[in-house]
Order: sequence, then C-alpha cells, then structure tokens
Amino acid sequence: MSSSRLNLTKIRPYLYLVPSLALLSVFTYFPILYSTYLSFFRQNVFTLEPVFDWFANYAAVFEEPVFKIVVRNTVVYALGTIPITMFLALLMAILLNEQLGWIRDIYRVACFYPTMIPMAAAGMLAVWLFNPGIGLINHYLKMFGVPTIEWLYDMKWALPAIMLTAIWKNFGYFMLIYLAGLQNIPGELYESASIEGCGFWSRLRYITLPLLGPTTVFVVIQGIITSFQVFDLVYVMTQGGPADRTNVFVYYIYQNAFRFWDFGQASALTVMFVIVLLILVFILTRFMERRVHYEV
Amino acid sequence: MKRKSILSMALLLVVLFSAFPVNAQLVRLTYYYPVGVAGPLARVMNEYVEEFNALHPNIEVVPVYSGDYDPTMQKVQTAVRGGNPPDVFIVEISELPTLLAMNAIEPLDEFVTDEFLSDFFPAFLENGYSDGHIWGIPFQRSTPVFYWNKAHFEEAGLDPEKPPTTWDELREYAEKLTVRDPQTGEVIRWGVTISGGWNDWLFQCFVRQNGSKLIDYQERTAVFNSPEAVEALEFWVDLTQNLKVAPPHSTWASTPPDFVAGRTSMLYHSTGVLTFIMDSAQFDFGVGFLPGKVSYGAEVGGGNLFIGKGIPQERKEAAWKFIEFLTTPEMAARWSRDSGYVATRKSAYEVPEMVEYTNENPEYLVARDQLQYAAGKMMSPAFQRVREILKTALDEATAGRTTPKAALDQAQTQINRLLGQWLQQ
Repeated sequence: MSSSRLNLTKIRPYLYLVPSLALLSVFTYFPILYSTYLSFFRQNVFTLEPVFDWFANYAAVFEEPVFKIVVRNTVVYALGTIPITMFLALLMAILLNEQLGWIRDIYRVACFYPTMIPMAAAGMLAVWLFNPGIGLINHYLKMFGVPTIEWLYDMKWALPAIMLTAIWKNFGYFMLIYLAGLQNIPGELYESASIEGCGFWSRLRYITLPLLGPTTVFVVIQGIITSFQVFDLVYVMTQGGPADRTNVFVYYIYQNAFRFWDFGQASALTVMFVIVLLILVFILTRFMERRVHYEV
Repeated sequence: MKRKSILSMALLLVVLFSAFPVNAQLVRLTYYYPVGVAGPLARVMNEYVEEFNALHPNIEVVPVYSGDYDPTMQKVQTAVRGGNPPDVFIVEISELPTLLAMNAIEPLDEFVTDEFLSDFFPAFLENGYSDGHIWGIPFQRSTPVFYWNKAHFEEAGLDPEKPPTTWDELREYAEKLTVRDPQTGEVIRWGVTISGGWNDWLFQCFVRQNGSKLIDYQERTAVFNSPEAVEALEFWVDLTQNLKVAPPHSTWASTPPDFVAGRTSMLYHSTGVLTFIMDSAQFDFGVGFLPGKVSYGAEVGGGNLFIGKGIPQERKEAAWKFIEFLTTPEMAARWSRDSGYVATRKSAYEVPEMVEYTNENPEYLVARDQLQYAAGKMMSPAFQRVREILKTALDEATAGRTTPKAALDQAQTQINRLLGQWLQQ
C-alpha cells in the first residue's frame, strides 16, 4: 500500500507532463528530427525522390552568396532591435509604475496597443507609413528638414525600417513583463531606502535594476527568439528585397522550401538555425541566471 | 387497384430518377485561381463559375481563391506532393517547367484543335508548349506597357502626345522631366520609374529590345552576360546612378501610386494596372509601347490554365469544358473588360461589347498592338531561383555596388551551377 503510493508520487509529475510532452513531440521534436533526417537528402525540382547525399546540402548553403547577406541581416536585426526594445520597455515600465493617475492608464494602453495588432496588418500599415512619396513618416521628417529617405526601396534603409516597425510592435509586450517584474519587488525595500535618504536614481541603481535581473534574462531570451524568428514583417513589407538586404534567416528558409522547392537545402538551413538558437539560449541561461538571483 | 398502385409506384420511380440523375453522376472539380487584385476580381471569378455551374448541371466547379501567384503555386505543389492535385488551376506561365518536373499536369493535345489554337495570339501560346505538347491555355495575360504623364510633358516643353520611342529618347526625356530641389539637389520628381519587384520581367523586355534573350527554353541555353544584356543593364545604371533620373529600387505595388501621385513622370508597369491608373489619376496620361533599341520588344506575362495530373477521365473532360468556357471569345473579352488584362484571342476584340469598350478607351488596345513585337516569357526549371538570381544582379548593379558586367557574370556562374543538369541534356 505505502509502496504503491510512493510509486504514484514518483510517477505523478511525469503524468502531469504527458499532455504537453505529447504536443511538443508531435509539433516540435518530431519535426526537428525529421528535418535533420531530410537535411542529408538531395531533394529539389530536379530530384523529386530524395537521394542520400551526406553533407552536400550543408556545403551548398555556404556556396550561395546570399547566405552571407542573410546571416548578416539576421544578426544586425537582432543586435539592433533587442537592446532598443528592452531599453524602451524598461523605461516605459518604470515611468508607468509611478503614481500618475489616469494618465498612467492611457499610456499603458497606448504602449501595449501595437502588440495587439496582427503582425500582417502592422506590416501593411508600415508599408504605407514608410512610403517615400505619400507616407506620413517622410511627411513629418520633411518638417524637420530631413531629406527624403527612400526607406523600403533603399538597400540601406529597408532593414532599419523593418526594425523600427518591430520595435514599435514589440516593446509593449516586454513593457508588460517588466511591469509585472516591478510589481514583484517588495515595497519595504523602497520604504527603507527612502528612510535612509535614497533618491530616485539610487533606488533605481541599487534596488530596481538588480531585482529585475530574472525578468531581464527572460526578456533577453524571449527577445532573441522573436528577433531570430522574424518573418511576417519581411514577408509583408519587402519580400526580402531590395537585393536581399532584408532577407533574414527564417524568410530564407521559407524561400528555399516553398518558392525554390529545395527541401534538402531548406532542411539543412533549419537544422543550422535550431543549433544556433539552442547554443545561444544555453549560454544565456547558464551564464546569466547565476548572477541575477537575489534572495530577499 | 393493385395495378393502379403498381403504375403509380412506377410513375413515382420515374419521377424520382428523372429528378436526380444529375446528382448520381455529378462531377466535382476543384479550381485554384490567383488574382492580382483580391476583392473585386475574386467576386468576378466566382460569378463566372456560378454561370458555368448553372449551364452544366452535372458539373460542379468549386472555386478556391488562392492569393497571389506565389501562394497559388505553393498550394498546387503541396497538393500535388500530397497526391491530391487540384483539377483545374491557374499559375504564373513561367512555372510550366517546374510543373512538368514535378509531374503535376496533363498534356492537353487530345482536347485542342488547330482551329481553337489559331485564334490565340501566338506570343501568349508560347509558354504553353514543352517537348512538342501543349500544357497550358492562356487566360489572364498581360504585357508591360509604358505610361506617361501628359501634364508633366507639357511642363517640360515636350509634346504630350509623343512618348519616347527609343532608349536614347527615353534618357533625354527623363533628364528633362526630372525635377530637383534647387537648394539641396534632392530629386522631387523622377523622370522615369522602371518598377521593382518584377524588374526581372522588365529587364527581359529590355534584352529583347536589344535583340537577344536570356534563356531559350526550347534550345536549353541560358546566357545572362551577353553583350546585349550587359548593354541593357548599363542603360539602367546610366538612368539610376549616373544621371539619377530614375529610382534605383522600388516595389511592384508602390510604383503605380507613385505615378498617380505625380512622383514620377514615366512608368514601366504591367497593363494590369491600367484600370487603377485610369480610376485614380487626376491628370491626362498616355499608354504606349515600351521604347525600343534595335526594335520594339516585350515579353508576355500572366497566368495559364492547367489540368492536374492523374485525375479520372470524366473529371478531365469536365475540366476541359470549364477551360473552354473560360476562354471563349466572349468570355475573354468580358474578363479583359472586368480585369484590365489583355484578351487572349483575336476574335475577342470583335465581340460587340469589346468594340464599343475599346472605342471609348483606346488605351486598352496598346498592349494588344504591342503583341506583334512580343515573345514568350523567360522560363526554366527552378524558375523562382533563377528569378532571384537575376533580381539580385539587377538590384546590385542599379545600386552602384558592382558593374553591370560583373553582376551578370556572377549571375551566369550561379545559373550554370543551378541549371547545369538541365542545360547539358
């Protein structure tokens, strides 16, 4: 009797995991394994039936001159959007955590509202806003004497335009997470700090930022994953152009699989993508989480 | 009494069977179609299908609006790989070799007659042929045409009724039409815009005008760095980089609004946007042939109708009936009026409604008249990748990052690697 109960308590956690494990297996783990398997086969418009070909697909990836541009775009996109999104999110979260009455509510809604717009609709909206001739953005820039920027037409400006759209679209979500993090910081800490005579800045420096550590780790990981996965905005706004200057990793995988119908190459790219993401997340969780936990 | 009831039973049976014989052998067809302009044209297409279904009680066509050309091709490919191809579908004409490589379509030789084919414009038929068989029937077809803003022409002291007819004239006019901010030198109005997005298609037209072509599908040759092609790209770089009278990059969807907003004075775009420009432009504009070099020249574009591979004979026959219905001269004329596409058959322009319509709007005849200088569109297996390679070369060159020769040499190397198998055969 007691031994079977013991067994049950041992098994129980695993039983709880079964539903999510089943879903993950079907929709995540199996596709990853299957992509890995497919990546060793040549399969494209010329060879419809898969032919085993070792690492030929991986080698072919590096032969494409576009691949270098794609990697650069993805890295630039991630490095450009994550810090700015995080900074904006944190700034707005701290400001909106203050007692500002009804203004606070309005601003909270205003900041979070881009997050609620579907990505494709946001992309279409941005296409019109960034239109060099009749777009609002150039219209306002002109008032400040900024010369016409061709935005999505321009090799230099197309990616920044998508990055700006992504920052606008995403920072509200991260702000919400930061707000939740801020509300978890015990009020006594601030109380005792003000008794000690600490001002706004030292409270920020010695209480708020350190205690937001775990939230920041989560935000960074989440930020990396969303920025590496960017697809919708590119698909809607530029389709990777001009001259692949907005072609990012996931869009490139899509191009290879569904436009070029080259499943071997697309699978090889997918596997590389998964490995890079796993390594990044592993490093982050390992080295950051250790330093950010404070016991209160 | 007994006899009476038997009789009435028999009568009832006869009535029942005569009421349902249709359902007993109803042939259901799936039909994938893309349209450039989502809302209104999808409704028009559904109307056509309803009319066909009403005329053929034993056939039911189920229309599936499948987005743009790319998503449609993806849906077709997925369906074919899943062993369940659509019965009838429209995809972009250059996809023919890919469809053949995937074993996705049926040849249509058993259905077509010489008489049927001879009425279509020859340039439109070209992309339907491969290996001596016919596979696709022209439906929504277009060519690029040249639009110019007559008000801007007058402003610049040019004859508003005379568009440029050669590359040299085009360059000269574009210089005159470009307006720059006197202080900053920044361009306020472009002289000419060669629309991006499908700039590969427009470039093929320039190469044709220069007396060459990039890919010969029947001969299986691909020459992207011929002197004629290099010269054409040098001309583009001249306009975009040296003279700065044309924007180096743009997107397909945004340039017609640019033209309508007066941000560019001359525009290279599909005849498909004529209706949009006509409805939105607040100024007089003209439609003309693409300016020539050695000769006038253009490549046709648009979508053909195909029948899915391996469907049962009765569905194949029903599918052909549907194709015939969609391509009669009357329907070709009607679709042209509804959509702005070029009617695919000569006799469509003799249909009374069409005569009346083109008398009122002679602009719609320009694309048809240009067909005598037009040829089939570039096609090859793995066409989408070929397109991307060419587009990258064009965009890099017009951005001034590399010379036209170097860009096209690079493209040639990639094309050789990609199509090596196919070219050698």
